[in-house]
Amino acid sequence: MSSSPVAGPAPSGPASGSGTGPTGSPASDRDHGPGRRAPQIRPVSAGSRRGPRRRVARYWPQYLAISPYYVIFTVFMLFPVLYTVFLAFQKWDGIGDMHFVGFQQFRFLWDDPVFWLSVRNTLVIWVLSTVPMLCMALVLAVLVNSTKRLTAFYRVALFIPSITSLVAIAIFFGAVFSNNFGLINAVLRALHLSAVPWMSNEWTIKLVISALMTWQWTGYNAIIYLAGLQAIPSELYEAARVDGAGPVRIFRSITVPLLRPIILFTVVISTVTGMQSFTEPQVLFGSEAATNPNSGGPGQAGLTTLLYFYHQAFDNNDFGYGAAIVWAFFLFILLIVVVNWRLVQRKEPRP
Amino acid sequence: MDLSRRRFLQAAVLTAAAAGATAACGGGSGSSGAKDSKNLTLWYWAGGLSDKVVADAKTHFSDISLKTSVVGGDFKTKLLTGLRAAQSAPDITGVKGEDIASFLPNADRFVDLKTVGADKLAPQYLSWKLKQATTKDGKLIGFPIDIGPCATFYREDLFARAGLPTDPAQVSAQLSTWDDYFKAGVELHKAVPKTYLINNIGSVFSMMIGQGTQRFIDEDGTFIGDQDHIRTAWTTAVKPYTLGIDAKINDNTWNAAISGGTLGTEIGAAWHALDISNAAPGTKGKWRVASLPGGPSNLGGSFLAIPATSGNPEEAFKIISWILSPENQARGFTDAALFPTAPAAYKLPALTAGDAFFGGQKTIEIFGPAAEKIPSAYEAPADAAVSAPYYSELTSIEAKGKDPEEAWKNAVSQAKQIAQRQGVK
Repeated sequence: MSSSPVAGPAPSGPASGSGTGPTGSPASDRDHGPGRRAPQIRPVSAGSRRGPRRRVARYWPQYLAISPYYVIFTVFMLFPVLYTVFLAFQKWDGIGDMHFVGFQQFRFLWDDPVFWLSVRNTLVIWVLSTVPMLCMALVLAVLVNSTKRLTAFYRVALFIPSITSLVAIAIFFGAVFSNNFGLINAVLRALHLSAVPWMSNEWTIKLVISALMTWQWTGYNAIIYLAGLQAIPSELYEAARVDGAGPVRIFRSITVPLLRPIILFTVVISTVTGMQSFTEPQVLFGSEAATNPNSGGPGQAGLTTLLYFYHQAFDNNDFGYGAAIVWAFFLFILLIVVVNWRLVQRKEPRP
Repeated sequence: MDLSRRRFLQAAVLTAAAAGATAACGGGSGSSGAKDSKNLTLWYWAGGLSDKVVADAKTHFSDISLKTSVVGGDFKTKLLTGLRAAQSAPDITGVKGEDIASFLPNADRFVDLKTVGADKLAPQYLSWKLKQATTKDGKLIGFPIDIGPCATFYREDLFARAGLPTDPAQVSAQLSTWDDYFKAGVELHKAVPKTYLINNIGSVFSMMIGQGTQRFIDEDGTFIGDQDHIRTAWTTAVKPYTLGIDAKINDNTWNAAISGGTLGTEIGAAWHALDISNAAPGTKGKWRVASLPGGPSNLGGSFLAIPATSGNPEEAFKIISWILSPENQARGFTDAALFPTAPAAYKLPALTAGDAFFGGQKTIEIFGPAAEKIPSAYEAPADAAVSAPYYSELTSIEAKGKDPEEAWKNAVSQAKQIAQRQGVK
């Protein structure tokens, strides 16, 4: 989801390498090249044991077979990621000279009210989407697990939203929630209720984005839960039923505790993806104004941190600041994931 | 196969080194040799040039193989990437009007068009538009495709119901200041309650900025976004909001608002006519065009530029000047609503003919004089970035009911912060 903005600088990145000048980049890379490569090869060739080298030689088809992933990963993922660390300390407009500015970008970031607004927006959207999403996913998974017929159909149906194009979903949601002409407001008016300004109120904007994310990822999480549910031995359920436990009791005392590792997994994954919400607000509120693109809709209520990063880097050509934003935010996501991990793990049943 | 951790790491490191070497070589062979290539590439975005004129250019320059690409998505980002990796840069490229200022500090990435013959042609084109693509030391990096002279589009039928003048000349005369315009809006809203005067207050703000001779940063690189000219634009922009004649449309419901009659007027550039007729084909014949309150303004309008890596700059400029000749610009106007940058085109039949969507009105009578009188203002590279907070805060007023005074203070402090980060004094 987030790979599109992050991968943005990738094609341009390798061309300059770690070069400092606008033109002399290849030379400076070549200075590094052999120096870096030599120590890597020497331990293999100069080592007294001849084994490893022969093994590498013998298994070369296997190494070759797995290499495309590593090559592509290095060029298009690892290198750009490391390059942004370097960029975060530069002032750079994309084609001109780079200027080293030290921690200045981070100091600006600390004082930037819009950055903090975007972090708050992201957190609110994440909570509003993740909590109902995981609860509904669990309930859906239990329901599908208990049916005997059409299970394959249900699984496919659950999975479809997550493979539908996000842009298409966002356009659809935009039409459904449109203020004056949307489906929901039309229904509200038909029922003689007052229409809700979904796309311009500070809170309903976040609600619409969250609803979109919930709709997209509930089924995906349900499938993961379903896999977990099928790993729970049926004897446990039988025993519980013999002891007279009702479905709710069974759900609370058997299903949820035994699913805890799976829940933990989905919480972490949802945190990472939820925090990276970018396409949803970008399509819903992206470029409605030529004068102020990607500002996150009315009152910047839909401005998530990644959208703010995109705006700074690609609309304002402020690539150094963009890099600083994503790195600060990366540390923030890390923190949230750790906190989540601890919170969910603490629900350890006391013996 | 048992793969020990050590062996795995070795393999990983080796692949990484190989990939690193590949990446390092990528930018090595950027310089293309001869400057008389017969294969030229042209990048533009959908609607950026008339497709018919471009197709004709291919046959007109028969000794050159001209390859054209309509580049979708974020055009500026793709162009930046192309310019960095010199080999993938086009020989001729479109540059959007809002991006040209940010390319000026890197003018060395482009061919100075004056060196390939633009100085001879320049007098035929609008001088204020050429100035936008000229660096401080006089290099011209872009040749103007089109401009966006602004006007008031209004619904004649709704004006008639409100007892307002309906004839374009009368409307232009009576609604000549912003206050007169807002006063008419109040009457319009009273007579037709579901109709509002303006789309959102940001549009008034951007029009007013365009009417001035100064923007957010002056030529010495000093931040002037807190001075009177911006402050006046701000207070004027907020007025329709307080008068209750602001439709507050900041989302994608504009199309529906235009076709449903929610908007009685629309202030926008000449190319906006195409948006209106696309959004509301059913209102054909009901719209008219009048002068913009408070004087002419410009919004948008793009350029063609030649990257410094171009294989044949001289031939490239011949193609540019052919595509942008007055006759072909007139075709571009009928074909893609690109408003010509050469005043000679304004007298050609394509422009002087009446427009059926506007009830047969000869819209050039409004746009033509406006185009020649647009004030020229210095646009700093960081101008777009610095102006962004003002627009965001204006939407905050509309969306959250934020106090305009507080919104102004926040906009200025944010703009100052961005200005400081961009190296503005």
